[in-house]
Amino acid sequence: MNGIIFALRSAVEDFGRNKLRTLLTSLGILIGVSSVVLLMAFGLGLKKYIENQFASLGTNLLRIVPGKILEGGSFRAGGPASLGGIKFDIKDVQSLEKISQVEYVLPVFSKSTTVDIGKRSELADIYASSADIFKGLNLKAAYGQIFTKSDVDKHAKIVVIGPKIAKKLFMYEDSAIGKNIKVEGQNFRIIGVLKAKGGGFGGPDLDSFLYMPYTTAMVFNPEKTFIALVVKTTDNANVAQIKKDINNRLLRRYNEDNFSVIQQEELLSAIGQIFSIMNLVLVSIAAISLVVGGVGIMNIMYVTVTERIKEIGIRRAIGATKRDILTQFMTEAVALSLFGGIMGLTISFLIVLGVQRFFPAYIDTMTITIALVVSSVIGIVFGVLPAKRAADLSPIDSIRYE
Amino acid sequence: MIHLANVSKDYLTDTDSVFSALKEVSLTIKRGECISIVGPSGSGKSTLMHIIGLLDKPTKGTVSIEGKNIAHLSDDELSKLRSQFVGFVFQQFNLINKLTILENVMLPALYARKALPFEAKSRAMELLTRFGIADKAKSYPNKISGGQQQRTAIARALMNNPKLILADEPTGNLDSKTGKEIMRLLTSLNKKESLTVIIVTHDPTIASRTKKKIHIRDGRLV
Repeated sequence: MNGIIFALRSAVEDFGRNKLRTLLTSLGILIGVSSVVLLMAFGLGLKKYIENQFASLGTNLLRIVPGKILEGGSFRAGGPASLGGIKFDIKDVQSLEKISQVEYVLPVFSKSTTVDIGKRSELADIYASSADIFKGLNLKAAYGQIFTKSDVDKHAKIVVIGPKIAKKLFMYEDSAIGKNIKVEGQNFRIIGVLKAKGGGFGGPDLDSFLYMPYTTAMVFNPEKTFIALVVKTTDNANVAQIKKDINNRLLRRYNEDNFSVIQQEELLSAIGQIFSIMNLVLVSIAAISLVVGGVGIMNIMYVTVTERIKEIGIRRAIGATKRDILTQFMTEAVALSLFGGIMGLTISFLIVLGVQRFFPAYIDTMTITIALVVSSVIGIVFGVLPAKRAADLSPIDSIRYE
Repeated sequence: MIHLANVSKDYLTDTDSVFSALKEVSLTIKRGECISIVGPSGSGKSTLMHIIGLLDKPTKGTVSIEGKNIAHLSDDELSKLRSQFVGFVFQQFNLINKLTILENVMLPALYARKALPFEAKSRAMELLTRFGIADKAKSYPNKISGGQQQRTAIARALMNNPKLILADEPTGNLDSKTGKEIMRLLTSLNKKESLTVIIVTHDPTIASRTKKKIHIRDGRLV
């Protein structure tokens, strides 16, 4: 142990004398470690972001969509089976509402369209459902109010809009209240603007939708069908049983392959799987630069050994064993590599800190451990050959070496 | 203490012919002797010194240290025996330039793993004080004079309390006054502490300061 501490001190002193060389040699490891760490940090951040997005959509939700999407816990190979083959209608909503422990069923119709205000025209998405949609998706009015069940029953020509589209149309969110907009020639009165929800990162952008009663939206929806149903169960409900009941009821009208009943967690784990695979591929590519860094260390260690043949001879003459010399040079290689690893980690921390305002990247203890272990292992793997060369030098030849 | 019997050492030269540096050398060195090995350059005296100093093994013949044949020792065992039995003093001083004087002197004790670092440090300081260079403990070798460097090397050689001091042209890089001082120091170690001292030299006046002289020429004792 003393030997290693002694070798470590001598290595650190040596680095002090060769600052530029040490820096350049560990640069390879620095770049490798920081690219691996950053990719892992961004991967973790992306996963967390998606989880948060799903969590913000509310819990205890089951989604019923056309087509078979999942198979054995991951996305079905070759894409969903018969996607869009069927559409749901109001009969399905009524049928599913009869299942016990189901709080409500949201029909969802959505359509991309243009909104006219005066002579201006903006692209927007209609998101039509029942009044419970605001509860189900955790949406609250920032200005004005949300529509109610009686608005839905009356086919009221009103609309609640997201804050993003409100800003686009009126500059100030609160000035939208009471204004009329034209959607495909039909007049709608804005009764509310929602609080910002965030999102739009690949997922649905809840802040850009025009929310209207599904009954009113039937004018844009002559078939009177829905692209999805969202079932909200009561708290502590037996979700597995409800899923089974939903399946049974839908099977009376549709084929098994024509629809999916998806629990939030299932979707989340399926997406998580894709991200894990993608991240693994990226990290493996980044790891190649670690190998390049390791070769750099090996190269400089060979140079160091050649430069210090005389020193090795002296050490051997005064009692150093082959093992002592091996330890000394291995320690140096590991210290060099670990130094690069720690620098890489530090830089990654700074970058992650810098982007945290825009993206929830983060470095967990697992990533830190991997970075430190991997850089030590690289030092060992690429240091062993030069160190062995040093240890195998003959004492007399080395002490005579000038 | 040291016994060489019919020791030969052959080297392969670049032209693949065999060069015999030592030819059937037999000699016995007793405890407490002060001996010089004298010979011109190329006579084989360095090879003889390397074999006595356990840095090299003979091609033929046997070397025994305190009755033990070294032929059967592994590289590690040889390193260990070397660190405890013999202390080297070189013509070029051979100090490690990036270590301080104190660290250079301590090094053999750290490799021997017999003393804790603080024990090694106090023993090293003791030796430096004895040789009048304690004030240079924190200096680096290239900042002190040749005489001081050679004193450091002698202190380093004594660090593990060896039985034998092996000095290879110890005065070769020093002026004659400093050379005399170093010789006085080496012979006094022999007299006062009954250490066995072997001095390898080509210089007859240096050799004349030891009681016993071994002459070597063309790999043979004469």
